Amino acid sequence: MLSRRGFIKAGGLTLFGVGLMGGIPAFIAEAAASNKFTPIYKKKKTLVCIFQRGAMDGLMAVTPFTDQNLQAARPGLFMTAAKSGPGSPLIDLDGRFGLHPSMKGFEPMFREKRLGIVHGIGSPNNTRSHFDAQDYMESGTPFNKGTASGWLNRAVGLLGHDAITPFTAVSITSAMPRSLYGDNPSVAISNLDDFAIQMRGNPQGANMAAKSFEDLYDQTTSSLLKNTGKESFDAVKMLQKTDVKNYRPANNVVYPNSPLGNSLKQIAQLIKMDVGLEVAFAESNGWDTHFNQGTENGIFARNVADLSNSMMAFWNDLEAHQDDVTVMTMTEFGRTVHQNGTGGTDHGRASCNFILSNSIMGGNVYGDIKPLSIENLEDGRDLPVSTDFRSVFSEVADKHLRINNNKLLFPDWNGKQMNLMRG
Amino acid sequence: MKPKIKYLFLLFSLAVSAFLFSSYYNDVHSKYTFKFPYKQAGLTESQATAHLLSRFTYGATPGEIDLVEKQGLENWFQQQLSAALPDDSLNQMLNGYDAIKLSNTEIATQYPKGGQLIRMAIKDGVINKDSVRTDRKEYKDQIQAYMQQKGLKPERELFRQFVNQKILRAVYSNNQLQEVMTSFWFNHFNVSITKNDCSQFIPAYERDVIRPNALGKFGDLLLATAKSPAMLYYLDNFSSSAANTDMQANNPNGAMNRLVMKNLQNAMPDSAQRNMVIKKLQNAKKAQGLNENYAREVMELHTLGVDGGYSQQDVTQAAKVLTGWTVYPMGTYGNTAQNIMNRFTPDQLASRGFVHDGDFMFNPNRHDKSEKVVLGRHFGPNGGYNEGVQLLSMLAHNQSTAKFITRKLAVRFVSDAPPQSLLDKMTKTFLDQDGDIKQVLITMVSSPEFWSTAAVREKTKSPFELTIGAVRGLRADIKQPYQLYNWITKMGEKMYFYQAPTGFPDKGQYWINTGALLNRMNFGLAIASGRIPGVRVDLAALNNNHEPESAQAALNTYGRLIMPERNLTETIKRLTPMLTDPNLIKKVDEASSKTAVAEEPVLMDNAMAPKMGNKKSGYQLKQQNTLAMQPAVNNSMLAQVVGVIIGSPEYQRR
Repeated sequence: MLSRRGFIKAGGLTLFGVGLMGGIPAFIAEAAASNKFTPIYKKKKTLVCIFQRGAMDGLMAVTPFTDQNLQAARPGLFMTAAKSGPGSPLIDLDGRFGLHPSMKGFEPMFREKRLGIVHGIGSPNNTRSHFDAQDYMESGTPFNKGTASGWLNRAVGLLGHDAITPFTAVSITSAMPRSLYGDNPSVAISNLDDFAIQMRGNPQGANMAAKSFEDLYDQTTSSLLKNTGKESFDAVKMLQKTDVKNYRPANNVVYPNSPLGNSLKQIAQLIKMDVGLEVAFAESNGWDTHFNQGTENGIFARNVADLSNSMMAFWNDLEAHQDDVTVMTMTEFGRTVHQNGTGGTDHGRASCNFILSNSIMGGNVYGDIKPLSIENLEDGRDLPVSTDFRSVFSEVADKHLRINNNKLLFPDWNGKQMNLMRG
Repeated sequence: MKPKIKYLFLLFSLAVSAFLFSSYYNDVHSKYTFKFPYKQAGLTESQATAHLLSRFTYGATPGEIDLVEKQGLENWFQQQLSAALPDDSLNQMLNGYDAIKLSNTEIATQYPKGGQLIRMAIKDGVINKDSVRTDRKEYKDQIQAYMQQKGLKPERELFRQFVNQKILRAVYSNNQLQEVMTSFWFNHFNVSITKNDCSQFIPAYERDVIRPNALGKFGDLLLATAKSPAMLYYLDNFSSSAANTDMQANNPNGAMNRLVMKNLQNAMPDSAQRNMVIKKLQNAKKAQGLNENYAREVMELHTLGVDGGYSQQDVTQAAKVLTGWTVYPMGTYGNTAQNIMNRFTPDQLASRGFVHDGDFMFNPNRHDKSEKVVLGRHFGPNGGYNEGVQLLSMLAHNQSTAKFITRKLAVRFVSDAPPQSLLDKMTKTFLDQDGDIKQVLITMVSSPEFWSTAAVREKTKSPFELTIGAVRGLRADIKQPYQLYNWITKMGEKMYFYQAPTGFPDKGQYWINTGALLNRMNFGLAIASGRIPGVRVDLAALNNNHEPESAQAALNTYGRLIMPERNLTETIKRLTPMLTDPNLIKKVDEASSKTAVAEEPVLMDNAMAPKMGNKKSGYQLKQQNTLAMQPAVNNSMLAQVVGVIIGSPEYQRR
């Protein structure tokens, strides 16, 4: 856990170390003097994971629209790519799969081969409990409840260097997600604005308190408190160099005013601030569409619109940073092929996911989707899992973050990677 | 009385009084069989008391150290082990919380989950299934009216009351050790509100399973958790069954099944309806089978520990032993299973091998009747419910368990890296004394290692400990406990929501990271300056309304009040400049008088406001805060000093 000490050595940080709280701390100044301005860490890649909690209906997000079985199973939910019908048709990707019309923002990315889709992705464990399936996917061990750490936390430990800054792994959530449980440094922040000593309406008091705290933590005999204290105040100063509250995204991008949009906006800020972010996590909720899922309008349409619009706002905001960033979505399972009695779908098996990256071999719907006739369904009702989520996650971790120790990242797994990204 | 009888009577009374005396003697005697070796460790009595209270309470209240010192440390500890002090004022505060007194069955009936509620409303024809989640406003109104009419409440209200009562208990209970141990064991046998299936059973789990056994025998606690709905659902054992059971009425092994069918015929004369239920039951059966989750975690996390010497084979075999351990049907809506069960008399059930104990049910039809071997021990065929009890008892008394549990206790109460010499003593007591938790604690506190400099101030407070400690130390008045929960969550401990069965890690590194540390500092400033809605602090009263004669005196006085028996030289030295810079004081005063206190809106809706004593609106609370802060000189400065002390590194340690 002493790996974070590397942060102190990062002399380059003093460039923006001038805050409101009494100038540059001595230890940073010293480090800078001894190091001059040679930055210790080079610009890193960032992997952004979005967990869609509640289980997205992959068959509605990316519909095999030529499949008569699906049409028969979902009389009230099936959409077509035919432009003649009423309402908006599906976006025909390849003559077989159609993207939900509310995800039109994704279409150009798919055509430019920068968006990859994996269909039939899921867990080998056939649980249909949200909790268990999320737990297994996030721990990365689909048959073991007791795994203490999350796969993304293990990924942080496998980055091959010390976690240099407090922002190496950040989750924009109110509590630490299961994916980041573990011994490697990671923080959960619900709002970057909160990353400061606060006394509302009393900035002088806050400054004074901050000064006192900084002094006290610098003097304590507990090395854990002392080092984390230093990091905290450095982190505050790092964030102070930009006006977090009045952030203006590039290209006049407007993020959806949704939890996911706000999370991705903050992740974009961290990436642009160059604070050493390598693993980021955000959540999207409301995918458990048992009731009145809707078609081109309705709950599902709103959800996928938010997902794609948030991701595209993020992507366009990143501009020059795009080469360094990969965004990957995940969801715990898919939904039944048949619609249920309340205009929705119930818990199923496989779903699909989206990967946005300049190094993805995009423009493809990966995976193995057979005709949805009953003999091809798992338990006679669900799209079977043809791609183990680990073969996708491990490939993305490998190709984007250069993490290829699958024994540690996904113990108990000896499958093959997907081969959908350039190395 | 005849002489002979008289003689016998005399003999009898002698025997009785001898017995009474001996038990009395034992009782008194036991208070003095242990002696805490703190003097040898170089601690004064006051320092030792402070250390003792820092480990076995949620923080000393003002003056408590003196009182305990007077009472005698051993005496106090014995009293805490008995956990029998009256808690009248706490109970009075808890009176307003009706949900926390309900049984699991009542909760299942009164606090339906979202999906369940919608199904009920559709079935009762209150809402149209086509309107669900389309017309939001109308739909919400309909649901609300339906709930009111049926006397139903939202699940979040249950959790709110549950969290509030935990906070009030931790702050006000006189039986502090019991509450500390309750938290410890809850975390050891963790269950999580994040798992929908088990969430509504969690309040009763803590109340009926954990707390009453927190200072008892480990084996009893283990068995109680194994049989609780919360654990049965959390680790899926409720659904675990022998792979080959089915509901066929013609199954020759299924006398019970035939009975079920017969009863079903009586209950549902309509054959189409009946066949549908049968098909559902059969499908449910098919989906089931052996589930190893609980069997694995009971060994890995609850008893032996991951290196405790068991194999995958042991896990599978143990899972088979525990098949049929499930939850007795409860809840009112469409619960066919319950109707079926209710048609049998308890005797009928017992004679067929069923065990019904509270919310627990052992269902012999789902039990794997084959022979099994776990950890070398042979379980013969048809062992029924009892073989599961024997298995758990065997695990509870295993040497690996003794080592694993005592280490966890030592990490909780001594230091993150407790010395082996201490662990050996505790393990021996655990094994010799039948897993008696009290005795293990006594061994721990009677050991010099507990009092060594390597232990004192070496633990890092968890966010809950920090929060409750501050509330106790400042004698804060809590009207809205949930506001504290929000802060505890912000600092990194979303209680009852920890997803993994491991529970929160118990080590300083876990709690102390950049975001969390800043929030600790902000918490200190917020509570001291009265900026947490519904949590009122009267700093002047804390010092018996004696106004410190100078800023420096205030720092000294309040430093010692909040952190007694600590060396505060460094803290005071660091904070003094803050008090002696006249410009700063002036600025702070000006700034803070402009914004006064608690400008944060009181966000709680009515459902969120506790039903306690004299309910006050947020507005009144704000006014009260302002008034309370008025009298003392330089109050904002004092609040700032106190806030910085609570956010200081020294205060994060215990």
